[in-house]
Order: sequence, then structure tokens, then C-alpha cells
Amino acid sequence: MSDITVTPASTNQDAPVTTVASSRHHSRMGLYRRRFARNIPADVGLGIFVLLVLAALFGGRLTHWSYTDIDFLALTTPPSADHWFGTDRTGLDVYAMTMHGLGRSMIIAVTVSLLTLIIASFLGALAAYLGHASEKIILGIVNFLLVCPIFLLEALVAAKTGGNWIWLIAVLTVFGWMGMCRVIWQLSTSIRERDFISAARYMGIGGPVVVFRHMIPNIGSLMVVEFTLGIVGTVMSETGLSFLGFGIKVPDVSLGSLLTSGQTMLYTAPWAFFFPAGALLLLTVSVALIGDGLRDALDPNSAAGGRA
Amino acid sequence: MIKYIVRQALSWLVRIFFAVNLTYFVASGFLNPASNYAGRFPPVQPAQIQQILKPYNLSTDDPLLLRWWRWLTGIILHWNWGYSPTGDFVNGQIGYRAGISAQLMLIATILAFAIGIALGLYQASHQYKVGDRIWQVVSIIGLNTSIIVVALVVVFAAIQLNQAMGFRVFYVTGAASPGISGFLPVLADKVQHLILPTICLIFITFPSYAMLQRSLLLDNISADYVRTARAKGLRLPVAIRRHALRTSMIPVMVSLAFSIPGIFTGAVLTESIFAWNGMGNYLVSTIGNNDINGATAVAAFAALMTAIGAVLSDIFVVWLDPRVRVS
Repeated sequence: MSDITVTPASTNQDAPVTTVASSRHHSRMGLYRRRFARNIPADVGLGIFVLLVLAALFGGRLTHWSYTDIDFLALTTPPSADHWFGTDRTGLDVYAMTMHGLGRSMIIAVTVSLLTLIIASFLGALAAYLGHASEKIILGIVNFLLVCPIFLLEALVAAKTGGNWIWLIAVLTVFGWMGMCRVIWQLSTSIRERDFISAARYMGIGGPVVVFRHMIPNIGSLMVVEFTLGIVGTVMSETGLSFLGFGIKVPDVSLGSLLTSGQTMLYTAPWAFFFPAGALLLLTVSVALIGDGLRDALDPNSAAGGRA
Repeated sequence: MIKYIVRQALSWLVRIFFAVNLTYFVASGFLNPASNYAGRFPPVQPAQIQQILKPYNLSTDDPLLLRWWRWLTGIILHWNWGYSPTGDFVNGQIGYRAGISAQLMLIATILAFAIGIALGLYQASHQYKVGDRIWQVVSIIGLNTSIIVVALVVVFAAIQLNQAMGFRVFYVTGAASPGISGFLPVLADKVQHLILPTICLIFITFPSYAMLQRSLLLDNISADYVRTARAKGLRLPVAIRRHALRTSMIPVMVSLAFSIPGIFTGAVLTESIFAWNGMGNYLVSTIGNNDINGATAVAAFAALMTAIGAVLSDIFVVWLDPRVRVS
């Protein structure tokens, strides 16, 4: 037995050719990266998402039209060399508006998802850590809010805060953390019985510190997945509110408000609908594919695991 | 068992009660009925506006708690949901609209649920085959597409189809045509109006059920009791249907209750796109008109739909899960 065993060190000498040997020395991050890269749909999603981010950041500078410029000489014109995605009936450039709206929807979604993740992970982990009556109270509030007509409440508040995107972020955060909180709580309950939590408790470490230093880092990988899927949900809520006229309002533009104007020109100027709709579709589907890929890469029980 | 269902229904009633009251306070905080009279010509004095609003229980001269108490007792004692700032009776508005929206939501939910379960069953028994892959792609797209995009693409396609056929196959606006009589014509008209919004709602709803059902079923197919059933001579499809499907349907049933608020949101947007005069459209107009009582009535409707979905899923869980029946 011992004479056929090759020590890792000696294999490493001629490592460049043998992939098996090189894979033994991956850091944890390297392992995650490889498992993610092996997942083709996730790679496609990541590629599309990076392109969308670049488009949102720099796409608007490629044309000399800004999203507020009105071209009185080109009302409802189809896509052309001057107006890449055509113009709508007021002469606004659809390309410039789509790029700006994409950026607006993205920044709202990422910020809201991040803020809700912070609230949800703190409350969820705290509920699991405290247990007993406090857990029941927090879960009771969460379950109650989950059955409330959240969209209606969001619409009520967002409609009266005047179309400012910072306010919209606040509204979506306040009403958006409950679903994530339940998931985080479920994950945390599986951790709270572990020895290192008891050890920390018996050493006299306070509740918030245990939650932040010991519980949250241990569910961190799954929180990344929740964060990604939260982006999809937020994009949907934001575009829904903006579409009905409760979210982003003129002169500002988001993908949702673009769809509202696209709807009124569906037959006369289909391009004013199909380009923003395509951007929205690519955004939500690519983020969802990344989320699924991350889940498979980070989850130790996932079917994709085992082979690095 | 009946006691269990009744207990669940009662706890849902309590939740509806709190949800509706929460909405009343949020609506009172953010909607300002007086602003409906602000831009009038000749200008109406602020004191005069409060005089107009007083009989509708909307005047800010009365403290909020007093208005809330009148509103609450009005509903409980007289089933009076209040008035809009311009004096429209809310009961008259919701009576007609609630039926339209409930019909859309319930049909879509039940069909999406049935399709989701069936697809999950099909995909799990053909794992990694072409059919499974195709439906997985469709599910991912359906789950992550905004209902707005789905509905507008459907509208666009329906218009193209109508033009190509030369007559109206599908209607893209309204819930029914006026002036149609007779059983069969009314039914046909209803189907022509209902089919497109329902397809849109189903398309965004079924994937979550299908994906959940598929993964649960895959877990259960390899369980011991399914192997035992196979060993006793049942063919695999029969073993899956009779043994694995039943256990793996329970969590899907539970998820149904939590998916209703999402379906309500979808219905609001669908109604707005297909110009249905349902609760969704009413919601948009109440918020625009600062109609506190109307918006609260919509919240009550949404909460009631959630409760109905939850109680239905409870009944199915009792039917499927022997452990619930025993305790």
C-alpha cells in the first residue's frame, strides 16, 4: 500500500499537466470559483449580467442623446443610425432611456437587496439565537406581515413620496425583508444547537456578538444566494410599482416606467416596448441564473458538489 | 379534523382583522382626502373641505382614533365599508369588482397549481431527459419574468393573431362585452376575455410549484418506502403516483398559501394591462383619489383571498397527511 502512495508534495512537482493533483490544493474560494465556472447556465448569466452592468454604466455615453433630450424632428421613428433603439412619440431616444432606466432599476434592486439582507439576517439569526418567547414574537410578526397585502402598502406609501428613487429604496426595504428573514431563521436554527455556539454562550459572550461573529458567518454562503435572489424580487416589485405610476416618475426613468410608455405605443412603436422589456428580461433571468449557480457552488449538499 | 380546519380559519380571521387595520392606519397616514378639493375653481376653503368630508368620516378635524372606531364599528355592525372623498359608496364599488378579480385569481391559482404538480411529476420521472430540460428552461424564464412583460407580449401576439385571422379571436381589453345575452354566447364571450389574462398569471405562477414538486419528488423516489412498494410488485409510475407523490405534495400545498399575495400583485398588474374593472384597477384609482376607505377595502379583499388559499391548502394537507388527522 505504502509503496504506491504518492505524496501530494511529490505530485506537485509535475503538477502543470495533471489537473487531478492541482485540484487538491485549491483554497476554498478557488473551489467555489471552479464549481461555479463548471455550471454553464450560471456562466451565461454572469456574462449577461456583466454586460448589462457595463451598459448601464457606460452605455449612455455611447450616444450623444441624453434620456431627457427631445428630438422634435424624429417622433416615433423606428431604430436607425442616429437613434439606435428608435424614438417614442414625444421624440425621446429609447436607447438612452433604456440604458438610464436599466441603471436606475439595478441600483435600486442591489441597494434594497443588501439592506433587506442586513435586516433579515440580523432579525432571523437573533430569533433563532434567543429562542423561546422572543423567537415566537419575531416569527409571529414576520408571518403576519407575509400575509399582509405588501404590494398595496408599498404602493400606498411610494405613491405619496413623489417618485424619488431614494424614497423608493426605503419603501421597498421596509416592506421587503420578511421572506428573507424566514429563510435565514430556518438556516440559523440548524446552527444554534452546534457546540461552538454553546461554547460562546458559556464563555459569557453577549447575544448580538454571538449572532454577528458566530452565527451569520456560518450561514454566509447561503446569504449570498438569498441576496442574489432578492435582487430579482426587488426588480419585479420596483418595475411593478413604477409601471402603475407609483414608483419612479418623470423626469426620472426606470425600466418599469419605460414599460408604461411602451404599452401605450405597443402597435405604433413596438420598439419602445420591446427594447426595455428585453433589458428587463435579461436582467432578471441572468441574476436568477447566477443565484442558482451560486447555490450549487456554495451548498455542500448540492448535487453539483463532490467533484472539485 | 373539522376542528382543526375551523381553528385554522379562525386564526386567519384574526390575521385578516389585523392586516386590514394596519392598512387603515397606513392609508390614513399617507393619503390626504382634502387634496382632492385643493385644485377646484372656485377655490374651496380648508374649513369648507373638512365640512364636506365630515359625513364621509374623512375629516381631519376628528381625531384619527375616533375615525378608526367609527370605520370599524360601521363594518362590523352594518357591513358599511365607508365612502370615497367624493361620496361614492365603497360597498357599491367592491361588490361588482371583487367577483371579477376573485374569479381571475382563483381560476389562475387552481390551474397553475394543477399544471405545476403534473409537470413536476413528469419532470421527476424523466429526470435529465430532453422534456425535463425543456421544462426547466421554461420554468426558469417564467419564474423570473415580470408579469408586465409577459402580459404585453401576449397582448401584442393576440393583436397580431386577430389581424391575421380577420376577426376577434381574443379580446385584450375588458372582462366582458356589453349587450350579449343567452347562455352559450355569454360563456364564449367570457372565455374570449378571460383566457389571455389567465394564461399570463399561470405562466408566472406554475414554475414555482413545478420546481418544488420536482425536487421533492426526486428526494422521495429514492426513499425506502417507494423501493418497498416496487419490491412488492408495483410498476415505477404507479409506485410514484400512489406513494411518493402523496408525501411530496404536502409542502407544495403549504407553499400555496404564501404564494397568494404574489398572485394578487400579478392580478393587479394584469388587470391594469387588460383594462379589467377589477380590484386591481380599483386599487390604482383609490390611491390616485386619496380614497382611504376604498384602499382599505382592497386590502381586505387581498387578505381574504390569502386566507381562502391558506384554508384550501389546509384542507388538502389534512386530506393528504395522516399525521394531521391523528393529532
